[in-house]
Amino acid sequence: MMTLEPLDTTDLGDKYEDWVRFIARTHHAANPRTNQVAPFTPLSKPLSDSRVALLTTAGAHLDDQAPFQVATVAGDHTYRLIPDDVELGRLRFTHTHYDTSSAEQDPNVVIPLDRLHELVERGRVGSASPVHVGMMGFNPDPTGVADELAPAVAGVLLEAQVDVAILVPG
Amino acid sequence: MCHRSVGLVQGEIERAGIPTVSLSVRPEVTYGMNVPRAAYLRFPHGNPLGEPDRPEQHHVILEALLRLLETATGAPTLVELPVRWKRWEPWL
Repeated sequence: MMTLEPLDTTDLGDKYEDWVRFIARTHHAANPRTNQVAPFTPLSKPLSDSRVALLTTAGAHLDDQAPFQVATVAGDHTYRLIPDDVELGRLRFTHTHYDTSSAEQDPNVVIPLDRLHELVERGRVGSASPVHVGMMGFNPDPTGVADELAPAVAGVLLEAQVDVAILVPG
Repeated sequence: MCHRSVGLVQGEIERAGIPTVSLSVRPEVTYGMNVPRAAYLRFPHGNPLGEPDRPEQHHVILEALLRLLETATGAPTLVELPVRWKRWEPWL
């Protein structure tokens, strides 16, 4: 069994201290943020009468939209609007914290647009929202997500008169 | 960390008056986010709805999410989906 010796940091000078501070600052455990209380809005109408929106933090965006910033400590708390009638081949997935090959092969595994349209056809849900939302979930500092992204996305859904939202992680 | 971002966005949408449900492959994170409704399953990151080009699998999971919307009576409601990935992996 391998024994782990403590790392000798004497030669690293300030670099080691900088690294420890960097990790402490950016590790998600150092920046806890959550819903203090679980909110609840009951369904006000049957799903068969409801307009449904899909949202994902899998880094989904259109081929002509800017990709998400994945290589920065600050994360990326912007969103992309994905039209309901998008041709799925135009979707791209910018994310370094999961294997995007399945999503590239079939975007339905993270943003099930075809499946939603099938559900509308079958009458299981009323309609699809005209816009869906792509986000990138890797944000070590959640402040931007909580204070800017979340209210902005809620506003988008209210404006689109969405009745129900389904969220899928990357 | 996607699950924390999902949780924060989901909470805000619910507070805005739109019922929500989310999928999770990291229930321990989702649990701590106090989301209104979530269903979790031990699938790999990147495949929350299942494997590519398997519509029937995606529909099973989606239907579970819709039923959760219809049947949850309060928040938080977190349920485990009895769906298994194609093969057991120790890291799932």
